[in-house]
Amino acid sequence: MILVWKIWGAYVRLTARFPSVATLMPFVPVVGLWALVAHLELFPKVFFPSPLDVWRSFIDLTWKGILPDYLQDSVVRLAVGAAWGMALGIPLGVLIGMNRIAYRALWPVLLFLQAIGDIAWLPILVIWFGYGLVTMTFVIVYTVLFPVVLNTVLGVRSVPPVLARAAQSLGAGRWSVVWEVILPGALPNIITGLRNGLGYGWRALIAAEIIVGTSGIGFLMFDARRAGSVVEIFLGMIILGILWYIVDSWVLAPIERTTGQRWGLVTR
Amino acid sequence: MKGLTLRHLSKTYFDPYSGTRVDAIHDVSLQVEAGEFVSVVGPSGCGKTTILNMIAGFLPHSGGDILVGGKPVKGPGPDRGVVFQSFALFPWKTVLDNVAFGPKMRGVARAEREKIAREYLAIAGLSEAAGRYPSELSGGMQQRVGVVRALANDPDVLLMDEPFASVDAQTRMTLQEELTRIWAEKRNTVLFITHDVGEAVFLADRVVVLTKGRVLDEIKVGLPRPRKWDDANKDPEFQRLSAQVLEKVRAA
Repeated sequence: MILVWKIWGAYVRLTARFPSVATLMPFVPVVGLWALVAHLELFPKVFFPSPLDVWRSFIDLTWKGILPDYLQDSVVRLAVGAAWGMALGIPLGVLIGMNRIAYRALWPVLLFLQAIGDIAWLPILVIWFGYGLVTMTFVIVYTVLFPVVLNTVLGVRSVPPVLARAAQSLGAGRWSVVWEVILPGALPNIITGLRNGLGYGWRALIAAEIIVGTSGIGFLMFDARRAGSVVEIFLGMIILGILWYIVDSWVLAPIERTTGQRWGLVTR
Repeated sequence: MKGLTLRHLSKTYFDPYSGTRVDAIHDVSLQVEAGEFVSVVGPSGCGKTTILNMIAGFLPHSGGDILVGGKPVKGPGPDRGVVFQSFALFPWKTVLDNVAFGPKMRGVARAEREKIAREYLAIAGLSEAAGRYPSELSGGMQQRVGVVRALANDPDVLLMDEPFASVDAQTRMTLQEELTRIWAEKRNTVLFITHDVGEAVFLADRVVVLTKGRVLDEIKVGLPRPRKWDDANKDPEFQRLSAQVLEKVRAA
């Protein structure tokens, strides 16, 4: 028992020095179990490759340059879509959150459009724009837009009116109130919207690539299915998970730490 | 420094639930001279915060005039600094940036406005807290920042809406003493809203008793400054004035 505690203590100290250990360690038993199941050949090997097979395929596809190209295609599509989604969504959310007329005019339309899920647009988009970048970008922007708009509205409305009054009585005009009070006050919600939007957007992108793509991780997986290469399908799935983890912990979490959490607006 | 004039001020609400008009403020006239500290005291529901919100420009008034230095007010503006009961500090700005906010809105350059902010923080003994965020401060410290933020913008009139109501009793006394000390230096025109009779008398040159949207009485306070609670508690004149104001408020 004491030994267990000592090992646990050593592990905690190790993760304090190398935080990445804390990220990787939980996957050790998962990969171990996977390797064991593959080794025992509980399923036929063509349907259930081992971790080592997937690793070899990773090296192979990286070496040939296919994987880096596809990865870049997917990430750039997501980044462009997310940037447009934010550029449209945040101002729209602020407008709807602050202006009663805009709220009345746009809110029902937003809810209506939100209900037509992202890939439900694909049939008509393919007819309009064909199998290509425009169609995929549209789907991602559409998917990112709604969580950003809805959460921005929520954030704008959660800013205490007394803060806007305080700013006004210190000499702030309309735009200064938006820039200095409404936007920072709504920021924790905007980030939540962005986090949801990127998550949905990432999934929508993979779906769009599977259906209309000619490159990208989604295309890689669907193409592998056509060729009967289960290894590459596994590889694609693992890359999806890792990539999302990187976006979340390297981009979104640091923004949250330096804004809402630092200001005491969000409890840690 | 400018004075504040209320002339036949009134406020009527339309209550959509009862479908009737409600008179919140009837015909209030009040003159606060330049450099004078006036407390407005009254029971809750007497309309004192409504009056302050109208002077600040947060609410439109229904009748009469509100003049600062002889000019009618239109909406909120930096000539009337406000200290709020809920502090209303910007959580995403450091203490220094909160205090420098008014000068920033006036277009003062960064170095200059930070210098102004540091001067005012020093007056309130807050120099150490300049780089911290409001959520990292105690309630008493937060309201010191609130007072200093309003003063650093050099308003013609300072409006204070029960600013010390939400801090503990000991801190409140300290803050009241500090306010009289800082005010003795700056001599702003102050309108101070409170329901606490002792506070009203302790701080002010003149106490206005308000009831049901009307001015009931005004009482001059000639106590020497700077004021200390230890002295005030022993001073028969302070006790007499407090008793007199309390009697009016209770009759209200």
